[in-house]
Amino acid sequence: MILVIAEHRAGKLNRASWEAVAAAQQLAAGQPVVIAVLGSGVGSVASELAAAQVQEVVTLDAAPLEPYTPDGFTTALQQAIDQLKPALVVLPHTYQTRDFAPKLAARLDRALITDVTGFKLDAPGAPRFVRPMFQGKLTADIVPEGPAPHIVTIQIGSFRADAAAKGASPAPVRALPVTVDPAAVRQKPEAPFQEAKQAVDLSQAERIVSVGRGIKEADKLPIAQGLAAALHAELAASRPICDAGWLPMDRQVGSSGQTVAPKLYLALGISGAIQHLVGMKGSQTIVAINKDADAPIFEVADYGIVGDLFEVVPAMIDALKQT
Amino acid sequence: MQTLVFWVLFVAFVGAFAAQVASRLRLIAAAPGRFTIDGIGGHLQRFVVDVLLQVRTIRERPIVGFAHAFVFWGFVAFAGYTAVEFLRGLGIVDLTETRWFFAYRVILVPFATAVLGGILLLLIRRAIFRPSTLGRTVSIESIVIALFIATLMSTFLLGFNLDESSAAGRVNWWVHMLVILAFMALIPASKHLHLVLSPVTVFLKSPELGRVPNLDFEKEEVGLEAVKDLPKKTVLDALTCVECGRCQVNCPAFGAGKELNPKTLILRAQEALLAGNDAAKLGVVLGEKELWQCTTCGACENQCPVGIEHLPMIVGSRRGLVSNGEAPEYLAGMYNNLERRKNIWGLGYDQRQKFVTAAALETFEPSKHDVLVWLGCAGAFEADFQKSLRSLFDILRARGVRFGVLSKEQCNGDPAKRTGNEYMFQELAAANIDELRAAGPKKILTSCPHCVKTIGEDYKRFGYEVEIVHSSVFVAELLRDAVPARTPAGGREAVTFHDPCYLGRYAGKVDEPRELLAKFGGDGVDLREPVRNKDNPYCCGAGGGLLFADKEEEPGSRISDVRFKQLQETGAGTVVTACPFCSIMLKGAQTSAPANTIQFVDLMTFVNSRRDRVNG
Repeated sequence: MILVIAEHRAGKLNRASWEAVAAAQQLAAGQPVVIAVLGSGVGSVASELAAAQVQEVVTLDAAPLEPYTPDGFTTALQQAIDQLKPALVVLPHTYQTRDFAPKLAARLDRALITDVTGFKLDAPGAPRFVRPMFQGKLTADIVPEGPAPHIVTIQIGSFRADAAAKGASPAPVRALPVTVDPAAVRQKPEAPFQEAKQAVDLSQAERIVSVGRGIKEADKLPIAQGLAAALHAELAASRPICDAGWLPMDRQVGSSGQTVAPKLYLALGISGAIQHLVGMKGSQTIVAINKDADAPIFEVADYGIVGDLFEVVPAMIDALKQT
Repeated sequence: MQTLVFWVLFVAFVGAFAAQVASRLRLIAAAPGRFTIDGIGGHLQRFVVDVLLQVRTIRERPIVGFAHAFVFWGFVAFAGYTAVEFLRGLGIVDLTETRWFFAYRVILVPFATAVLGGILLLLIRRAIFRPSTLGRTVSIESIVIALFIATLMSTFLLGFNLDESSAAGRVNWWVHMLVILAFMALIPASKHLHLVLSPVTVFLKSPELGRVPNLDFEKEEVGLEAVKDLPKKTVLDALTCVECGRCQVNCPAFGAGKELNPKTLILRAQEALLAGNDAAKLGVVLGEKELWQCTTCGACENQCPVGIEHLPMIVGSRRGLVSNGEAPEYLAGMYNNLERRKNIWGLGYDQRQKFVTAAALETFEPSKHDVLVWLGCAGAFEADFQKSLRSLFDILRARGVRFGVLSKEQCNGDPAKRTGNEYMFQELAAANIDELRAAGPKKILTSCPHCVKTIGEDYKRFGYEVEIVHSSVFVAELLRDAVPARTPAGGREAVTFHDPCYLGRYAGKVDEPRELLAKFGGDGVDLREPVRNKDNPYCCGAGGGLLFADKEEEPGSRISDVRFKQLQETGAGTVVTACPFCSIMLKGAQTSAPANTIQFVDLMTFVNSRRDRVNG
């Protein structure tokens, strides 16, 4: 049996949970999949998850599990794993998971493989997990050893959330008895807060269209905005654009702005000064459009178009509209 | 009777002087640390140049400076005269009737005239022209002191025309002596304490600009946190400040409209020390914002005529803040990069290797190579600066210089050192020194002036000494025998050179870059000097970790924008740079400036692209 640990904040399901469910279903190869959700009063999250094609959804419902603490979660999950005896525990590789998964693995004395991007099934029930190493320069195949359950965390975006198979009818939801002694929870979390400074959180954007000095005039910004709209992307800029006040400061990418790592970063008329590059080099795919073939942006771009953005971008928008 | 009265007054006023001076000396004695002398020669030289010859006072403001120098030299010349008159007044011995004393008096006449002229000029400047550097309000006490000095000289000169024993003669003598006594009582509580302290302060100033001693982690030193942590020299500095404002007018942060004013910083420290606010946090006393606005360009310290060292206080206070987790947010990212990737950009070292391979660089071996080229964070990772390094390699190869690079090179630690992250600096320095010792170069060549300062000076404190030269110096020497041959077709090219602070001011190398510009530009180059150049350049704004700073957190303009404008005002179409960080900052300023066609070129590329015009 494969156990997926879903994540939510105050009843709002983290999208990455569905990616973990999809990964578990693909790993299952016939084994049943069970989803566990922790917290206090998690009924609605559980019924949302029950849409998945799984054996059941179990709730670990206890007052000390809200809000999240590593002590509380580790204690509850240890009990759940004792009862359910899964062969594999799958978690989304979120910040919260990063916080408690090592503790859980140490508590259980079981193997933990983090940030898994995929797997290869040598035989049913015997996966080799793939994870990046050295900042993604290499990937390693890793086979967990030792007694079950093995614990894996799935890199966000490695599996598609919409690939999670849905059941014909909702899966049963069952409450799993767990006891968490509030006195044994040492962490006393404060209310989470978002730094108010950044009105726009570009770090969460999947696609970014970024404009540089090559746009020449503020009046030409709608061209970039049009492309952003066609791609469902956020609009960002390099320093001179924000300096000139053409776009607000919170849309600036670079060493004195935000650091972003979207799946697609489209750089329009950005020469690629190093301060800008360090803010976006982590993007998965970088597409650069620039008139100057020597522009440093092409050093980091996966796809480069040497050309006039005022010709290229409208053509791209047209092409996107046709699809 | 007169002798008795004089004795009473003498004891009272000299007592007041001594008591006030003693209370200040106690502050210095109570301060932690000790005064250090780093080779007596450098200290003596500074004393002769800046105290006896008044060079730093004159250099920047010649008229005012000479006026001050006249007053100073006059004071020195009058020392014997004053002593003789006191001995007479106190009834100890009367030497005034001797022949040599008469000769001495005659010799003093031109001195007295010069002092009188000088002090009147200074008085008029202060009271009527009121330069902003001297502060917004007129200092009454300075006016009084100036009038005192004028009175002293007038009474001295008047003495020649008055009979000593006449009533007028006695009054004249008494006025002269009383003014001296009042003057002494007034000195210690005013900026005129510099008369007493500055010769010592100047003598004790480090011969090396911007010398910030290492922290000793074994002794659990964490930097300066409170007023009581200010070391002896800093306390002496604070008490010596003459408030002339040379630091203020030369500070690029102040010039760009930021809160930082080096003079205010020193005076705030002085105020807190005199008030005994020992426990007050330096972040509060000096101002956190101000402390983080310093680019460590060194202008304040270098221009100060009374030997104040601003950087140990500023960087020391930053260390105190960093140790308490109070560094600005933008530094966290850079520190993270240094910690994880050992370079300021946070880029992977495979990128350096790519450049090393692409540029066909060999790993340094003492038997095979003459010099080791230190690439630096910019050279290893920044595409733009790599072009200028390739120019340097071309020049070296054309001249048969055998050079290699380290296989492993980390950031030299300059951004960590100047922002007060001493622990990280020492880690990086130790790792680099290990690599350098293993490689064993006799000479290091780099295009980054920050590397010159850090590896050449700061690494000495770890016992590692090596000759490190900037590419401008190395190449100027290498190509000295080359003869300009061809004048380029096309018109003359207006070029300006931006001196990097760490080259012009710190390393004092100002002639070599100009020599290269003249030789390789040939007749075609019309070199236009910007305001603030050579050994007193205006900073590009990158130093002291400010390369990473946000704009919106600070008032005023960007320092880089101010400098870009100064360079633009030369009318030159080409700006030549010699530091990767200056280049990054100024190019950044250019993209934010109104449309312009200024071209930036690194000095090495400038030389390399014009080598065919020169025989050699």
